[in-house]
Amino acid sequence: MLLDIIIDGLIKGSVYALLAIGFSLVLGVARIINIAHTALFMTAAYLIYIGSKLMGLPLLLAMAAAVVLTVLLGLVVYRLFIQPIQEHEAAVLIATIAVAMMLQEVFLMSFGGHYLGVPPLVDGYLTIMGAKITYQHLLALGLSLVMLVGVRFFLMQTRLGLALRSTAQDREVANLMGMDVNRVALLTVAVSVGLAAMTGAIVVPLITVEPTMWMHPLIMMLAIVVLGGLGSIEGSFVGAYILGFAESLVVFMLPMGSFLKDSVALSVMILVLLIRPEGLFGVSFEEER
Amino acid sequence: MAESFLEVHDLHKNFGGLTATNSVSFNLDRKEVLGLIGPNGAGKTTLLRLITGILKPDSGKVLFKGEDITGKKTWEIVNKGIAPTFQNMRPFRRLPIIANVMVSCLSPRSMKRGEWVKKVEAKAMDALEFAGISDMALEKASTLSQGDLKRLEVARAVATEPELLLLDEPFGGLSPAETDLMAKSIARLHKGGRFGRLHSEGPAMIIIEHKLQQLMKIVDRIVVLDFGTIIADGPPQEIVKNPEVIEAYLGKGGV
Repeated sequence: MLLDIIIDGLIKGSVYALLAIGFSLVLGVARIINIAHTALFMTAAYLIYIGSKLMGLPLLLAMAAAVVLTVLLGLVVYRLFIQPIQEHEAAVLIATIAVAMMLQEVFLMSFGGHYLGVPPLVDGYLTIMGAKITYQHLLALGLSLVMLVGVRFFLMQTRLGLALRSTAQDREVANLMGMDVNRVALLTVAVSVGLAAMTGAIVVPLITVEPTMWMHPLIMMLAIVVLGGLGSIEGSFVGAYILGFAESLVVFMLPMGSFLKDSVALSVMILVLLIRPEGLFGVSFEEER
Repeated sequence: MAESFLEVHDLHKNFGGLTATNSVSFNLDRKEVLGLIGPNGAGKTTLLRLITGILKPDSGKVLFKGEDITGKKTWEIVNKGIAPTFQNMRPFRRLPIIANVMVSCLSPRSMKRGEWVKKVEAKAMDALEFAGISDMALEKASTLSQGDLKRLEVARAVATEPELLLLDEPFGGLSPAETDLMAKSIARLHKGGRFGRLHSEGPAMIIIEHKLQQLMKIVDRIVVLDFGTIIADGPPQEIVKNPEVIEAYLGKGGV
C-alpha cells in the first residue's frame, strides 16, 4: 500500500510537473493561458491509440509519430488562431478554450465516449514487499524523471533555454537585446506542446483514453501553477509533487472517495494561497517592477 | 555627397497634441561621438527610441549605412549593429548578471552558428571584465547598486559588438569617482580593439547626458534639442558660446 502510494504519487507528480512546466513556459514567454494544453496531451494519447491499435504500427513508432503530429498541430493552431489575436489576452484565453472543446468534440464524434486503451510497452510486474508494481509503471516513472532532468538541462544550459527564460522575464528588453521575440514564442510553443505530447506517450498505457480525459489534468495543472507561483518553474515542479501525492493518498486511502481528488487538490491550493498569496515560489508583483 | 553612417531625416513624432520631435535631422560619421543635450522633455530619449524602432515616427526617415531602417522591428535594427542602453536600467532581475549579458550575446549578430553555451558564457565574462563587474557575475541582477547596473548596461552593449552605441545618461546617479570610471570605459570602448574574446571596431556613439562637464570631454560634437527641435549643432566649444543654447538650456550662469 505504502509503496503503491509512493510509486503512484511519483508518477502523477512527474506527469503533472511536465504538464505544468510546459504550460508555465508558454504563459511566461507568449503570455498565453493555454487551456488547450492538456487537450493536446489527450490528442497525443488518441493519436497513439490510432497508430498502434487501428493502423497496427509498432507502439514506439506510433508514439514518435504522435508526438511529431501533435507538435505540428499545436504550431498550426498557434499560427492560425492564436497569433492573429495575440494582443487581446482575453480573446486568446477564449480561443484556447475553444480549441480544447473542439478537440474533445472531434474525438467524441470519431470514437464515441468509449474507454480506450493502449497496451504497455513492457509486460510483467515486480513484487516488492507484497505490492505488485508493473514494469510499465517503473518505466513511466523513469522516463518522466529523465524528461524532467532534460527540461532542466534545456532551460539552464542551452542557448534557446536562456532565450526562453529571458523573454519570459521581459519581452521588451529581450527585443532590445536583438532577440526575435516572435520566433522565441513559436519555439516555446513547440517545446511546450512537445512536452505535453511526450508526457502523453509516457503515461498512455497506464490510463484510459476517452474524450474528457483532458479535464482532470487541466484542473490539477492550473491548481499546481497557482500553488507554485505563476511563471515559476521551480514552483510548478514542487507544486506538482505536492498535489500528485495528495491525489494518490486520496485514491488509495479512500477507494470509495476518489471522486474527491479534485476537491482535495483545490483545497490544498486554497490553503497555501491563504498563507502565501503569491504562491510557493512566486514573486510578489511589487518586486517584479 | 557620400552616404553617411547614420542619417536622421526630418523626424516627426507627436504624442497626442504634444510634439516630441519636430523635423529633426542630423548626420553621424562612422567614428563620431555625438552628445545629445537639452532640457528635460526636449525629446532626447524619444529620438533614441525612434532610431531603435521602439517608437515609430509619424514621418521622416532613419538611414543606417545607407539602408532605410525606419519602421523595422527593434530586434532587426539591433542586429544591424545598433546597441541601445536604457536611462532607467532594466536588467532581467531574476537572472544572474552573467546570464543578463549572455542574452545579448545570443543575438544572431554576435552569435556564430553552433556556438555552445560555454563559449557564450566566456564572451559574456569578457564583457563583464571590460565593464569591471566580473566579480559579481553570479549574483542576481536585482541585488546590484545603481552604479553597477549602469556598468551592466555597458557590458550588455559591448557584448553585441555594436557599430553604433546609444547611451542614455550613462553618468546618471553615479558618484564622481564612478563617473570618471564610466567615462574611461566609454573612451576605451570608442578606441576599439580586443577585449578578451570580444572585438570592438570602436563604435560611433550618441550620448544623452546632463552632466555637461564630463560630457564635453568625451564628445566630438553636440546637438542641442529644445521642444523637439534642434537649436544648435556643432563642436562643444561653439555650443557653450551659442546664445540660444545658453538661454534655452544652460541658464544665465552657463556651464
